[in-house]
Amino acid sequence: MKKLILVAFALIFITNLIDAQTYKTRDGYIFFNPNKDQSHKDYAAASKEGTAVLKVETSEVALLVPMKTFHFNNALLEEHFNENYLHTDKIPNATFKGKLIGFTKDQLAKDGVYNISSEGTVTLHGVTKDFKSPVKLEVKNKVATFYCVFKIKAEEYNVIIPDLVKPKLSAETPIEATIKFQLN
Amino acid sequence: MKKLLLYLIVACCFFVKASAQDDLLGDLVKADAAKVKNDYTIATFKSTRIINMQSVEMTGSGNLQFMISHRFGSIWKEGKGWTNVAQLFGLNAGAANTYMSFEYAPKSWLNLGFGATGNAQLESWAKFRLLRQQTGAKNIPVTVNLFSSFHFDGSEGPSPDDFAWNRFSYLNQLLIGRKFSDKLSLQLIPSWIHYNYVPYGINNTNNVFSIGIGGRYKLTNKTALSFEYARQLNGYKNLLDESASAVNYVPDLISLGYDWDTGGHIFQFFFTSSASATNIAQLAQNTNYVRLGNFSLGFNLNRSYGIKKIVNTP
Repeated sequence: MKKLILVAFALIFITNLIDAQTYKTRDGYIFFNPNKDQSHKDYAAASKEGTAVLKVETSEVALLVPMKTFHFNNALLEEHFNENYLHTDKIPNATFKGKLIGFTKDQLAKDGVYNISSEGTVTLHGVTKDFKSPVKLEVKNKVATFYCVFKIKAEEYNVIIPDLVKPKLSAETPIEATIKFQLN
Repeated sequence: MKKLLLYLIVACCFFVKASAQDDLLGDLVKADAAKVKNDYTIATFKSTRIINMQSVEMTGSGNLQFMISHRFGSIWKEGKGWTNVAQLFGLNAGAANTYMSFEYAPKSWLNLGFGATGNAQLESWAKFRLLRQQTGAKNIPVTVNLFSSFHFDGSEGPSPDDFAWNRFSYLNQLLIGRKFSDKLSLQLIPSWIHYNYVPYGINNTNNVFSIGIGGRYKLTNKTALSFEYARQLNGYKNLLDESASAVNYVPDLISLGYDWDTGGHIFQFFFTSSASATNIAQLAQNTNYVRLGNFSLGFNLNRSYGIKKIVNTP
């Protein structure tokens, strides 16, 4: 009987060990500036509170950003972003779910810069769209940093921009995401 | 028996394994939902003013707000007849008050302001946020601000020129506001006004109290209707002025307004039963009786500038 319990514990331990290669982080920085003129700082917004999970075995990744954590230099624009454009009271989060392509376990073990890519779906403002973008992975001093710069069209996500505002914005909003994982 | 148990345990282990393979995003969403957060209520009012009086809304941290506030003359003066029409219902009456102010928010809970209006009336104030309406980790149903200002009367006139100290008066208000729904916000405003100097008179008092209520109802994302009512509680009847003649003030202040957010500016158009531009004069020295013609048209126009950089550009 004792042996049996031992075997059971060993099994549970082993199954957990297989799962253990999952990294979690709260250090996700997402920045965007929808303005045509990228030096116009009033429009710049960023969230420092993106959370992400990376499953090394399967290269699966998921990212979640609470929309209310985006802050703007101009407080009135922040109010409009929440109230008029993205309705963050009703749709609180933006998410990404997908896979890293060209990512291997060994990359995390050695310092270096790797050019990989990512594929999956983005859900923003309640609308889910396919997503594909190159990703830069930098491993340094036990920290894996994923950089991703991509562009989205606001209309595709049902974000309605009034005609008066349109001329001020670029047709596609560039978004920069920097997600850091602490490796153990 | 043992064998059966073993199978059972192995099966269990696989079950544990299978459940651990659940969708990553689902876990993340669940973890985020379970996280204790403060969900602050934003945009209780469009502007830092309801109409005349301060709202619980504050200028955003690091933002400088410039405001021009203007009140025209009364729409209809009794006994003036066609002159009222010629004066375009007060728009062109030769009597108007313009109030200009700057306010800056060094912290998200603190606004500092400076304002000036006609006849050398200067004001400076601080607005502190004491409580913030929120749900989540803490559940606070109202936003409470303390608004504290001093007013300096720099005009020439019969008021005593001897002591500068006599020219000061103060206004302290508690702003208790709640956003009831997306559209409806209401606010309660008890005020205490203190004059350093009042002319001699048995009914004259240094301390005047008033209670006000204000609110807004959003029509669209960009427009809202607003209202305001304040009642002076003491110190308005049978007062004496400098030259010992009797003065009566009107204790009621009523205003109705329309807010319009143009994207960059916030316009507030309103009718108010006071032609004065400063809060103290509106609340404690109102001379306009509440009658249909005695309302004046006015507007507030404000614009915020992001002065301090909050977002780090990568």
